[in-house]
Amino acid sequence: MDRKTILMDYIKNEIMRNRNARLAEDEDLLGSGILDSLAILQMVAFIDEQFGIEVPDQDVVYENFNSIQALTEYLKQYPG
Amino acid sequence: MSDVIIIGGGPAGSAMGAFLSKAGISNLILEKAIHPRPHVGESMVTSSTRVFKELDFLPVLEREGFVHKYGASWHAPNGKEFAIEFGEFPQPGVDQDYTYHVDRSKLDLLLLKHAESLGSKVMQGVTVKQVLFDGDWARGVRIAVDGVEVDLPCKVVVDASGRNTLLGNQLKVKVKDPIFNQYAVHAWFEGVERGKEEHTADFIHIYFLPIERGWVWQIPINDTITSVGVVADKNVLKDYRQDIEAYFNMGIQSNPDLEAAMRSAVRINDYKAEGDYSYTMSSFVGNAYVCIGDAARFVDPIFSSGVSVALYSAKYASEQIRLAFETGDFSEAALKPYEEKLRSGVNVWYEFIRLYYKLLPLFTHFIQSKTHRIEVLRLLQGEVYNRGEVPVLDAMRKYIESVENSDKHLLKDKLTSIPID
Repeated sequence: MDRKTILMDYIKNEIMRNRNARLAEDEDLLGSGILDSLAILQMVAFIDEQFGIEVPDQDVVYENFNSIQALTEYLKQYPG
Repeated sequence: MSDVIIIGGGPAGSAMGAFLSKAGISNLILEKAIHPRPHVGESMVTSSTRVFKELDFLPVLEREGFVHKYGASWHAPNGKEFAIEFGEFPQPGVDQDYTYHVDRSKLDLLLLKHAESLGSKVMQGVTVKQVLFDGDWARGVRIAVDGVEVDLPCKVVVDASGRNTLLGNQLKVKVKDPIFNQYAVHAWFEGVERGKEEHTADFIHIYFLPIERGWVWQIPINDTITSVGVVADKNVLKDYRQDIEAYFNMGIQSNPDLEAAMRSAVRINDYKAEGDYSYTMSSFVGNAYVCIGDAARFVDPIFSSGVSVALYSAKYASEQIRLAFETGDFSEAALKPYEEKLRSGVNVWYEFIRLYYKLLPLFTHFIQSKTHRIEVLRLLQGEVYNRGEVPVLDAMRKYIESVENSDKHLLKDKLTSIPID
């Protein structure tokens, strides 16, 4: 599975707790409240665990976490 | 005459009496109340087990059927729950993966009786008016029994008077904490739905509230009774015009999991209110006296640290006193190593508490992170003494600083006003 799908599944299953949830790649995760403060840190921990990427603290910002698309783009700088 | 007079028969005073009696040092415990008497602070941490074991008190705890506490569970305001279990981090010298929830009136009575059975003399219903001094050397206490005042001499005075801080007040060495001024309202209930999951039902449950430093404890006292307490900054209470029931109900309604847990709950005793602001004595020891437990230092109760601090302070102070009887040196300098040991341990609790309240999601994050989880557990289980460096606290602090220094970090608006430097 590519990173995008893995992140999508994780958000649906672990954060939204609804595997059938409708979630678009460009959906505003922060504005919609899907990702609250706890979930943001959960995502950071998941990215570390799943991809071995430690997101630096200064990169935990709106631009990188506002959608699955944005997050996948951001993670591209780390080779898979 | 007893060699040592101990003011107060709570866990600190009774443990002190028990340690001294085991060491063959005669001691007298003076308790103002007549046990059993109610007391707040009904949950413990696993490091206490070590002291109970040393005092041969574990069989009593088992015989009396205190509820086993295997872990702790936190509930975020959005309904998410996460738990820790003590079994995950085994502690040297602790052979059981649980501690206890306690009815303090019962625990404190049993501990006092235990000290008595080991040789401590106990007088209840006795008020200590003041510690007597020759210059700056403690030489005994003045007590009042049925309105008659009597002076009792001794070689060492131990202040275990709890939040009354008898010596701290007398010597004017009590320093109020500039940050934590919390207020708790609590009562016992029947019919509390203790957990969504069976195996966490007898954990302590902590519910976060979306108000300044607000949280609620849920502690099982026995099969049917559950203690529930609402804690928040004292200023929050002012908004309720000191109406403690309204304050309590506000707390219950501020977290959906908690509201569900309390749906069929029936209160079985009166609401009790406690200011539980934090404080420290500027010094825990002087010539021929020591302060232990809450009479030395009190920190916010979020991590159930109080009884553990009482027990360890009694252990360390009694070791110092035993040494003093061997050398004949009861001076402040001779007793100081106890203070250094206790202070560095309680400071670890304090730092942990402060960083916790500074950025709540961070604690949740650290406890779920594979890098930090075990080190957070180590702290939650009360391993704070003889630590030197505590890298996980440095990591929390570093994280908070990076959020503070960044303009755009997503958690920036979650930072509270607590100073951390």
